[in-house]
Amino acid sequence: MVKSKKHDDQLTVYLSGEIDHCSADKLRREIESLLADARIRRLTLDFERVSFMDSSGVGMIIGRYKTMRERGGTMTACGLHPPVEKLFHMAGLHRIIAQEHAGRQEET
Amino acid sequence: MNNQMELSFLSLAENEAFARMVISAFFMQINPTMSLISEVRTAVSEAVTNAVVHAYAGKPDGKIFLRAKINVRQAEIEVEDFGCGIEDVAQAMTPFYTSQPDKERTGMGFSLMLSFMDDVQVTSALGSGTLVRMKKNLYSGDEHVP
Repeated sequence: MVKSKKHDDQLTVYLSGEIDHCSADKLRREIESLLADARIRRLTLDFERVSFMDSSGVGMIIGRYKTMRERGGTMTACGLHPPVEKLFHMAGLHRIIAQEHAGRQEET
Repeated sequence: MNNQMELSFLSLAENEAFARMVISAFFMQINPTMSLISEVRTAVSEAVTNAVVHAYAGKPDGKIFLRAKINVRQAEIEVEDFGCGIEDVAQAMTPFYTSQPDKERTGMGFSLMLSFMDDVQVTSALGSGTLVRMKKNLYSGDEHVP
């Protein structure tokens, strides 16, 4: 089970390892089950321990962004390492998902 | 350095990570930059995922071939399957086109291969399979990579 932390309406999910087609399906189910708690309005995905991600990971992130948008919530990403951050930009995710750098929130 | 490898494995999602590990290990011989490894791993991951997800549509007994050749100036990587084939390769390679929009697929696979590699050629025939041939220009040892 993916590591997570809940505080009021805030859920932080600590992703780790490699996010590809194989692992994205499982992550999607686990995060959706955490989001079954309707109080959650703010979702943060922590990528600090993610060593690899491909387009299947991007699909999984967009899916969770849609879940949050449908309930009027927000989504933030933090701890992106350069290759994952590059993919974020190539996929245009930086335009829809706020990124947090060194404890400072940046609206992009 | 002139070297080549060939590997075949079944169309299981678990083998996406396996293919990435193998291609990384093969490229370690040329003392690659982190960025080169990352680009090659992503391109291979996308090609193998396409074979698992589309060519064999989740069937676990399809065969996927991964081949690679490296010399001083260039690397060539092939990912081949004998699955359903692609009816319209140009459409499949269109950024954000996916035949499975309901499955959270982004349609970015071929775009990422094209972005990360220097040349991508796709040959496909309906009912026979698909061959993705990618080339990557390499830096020689005396060049400084920023």
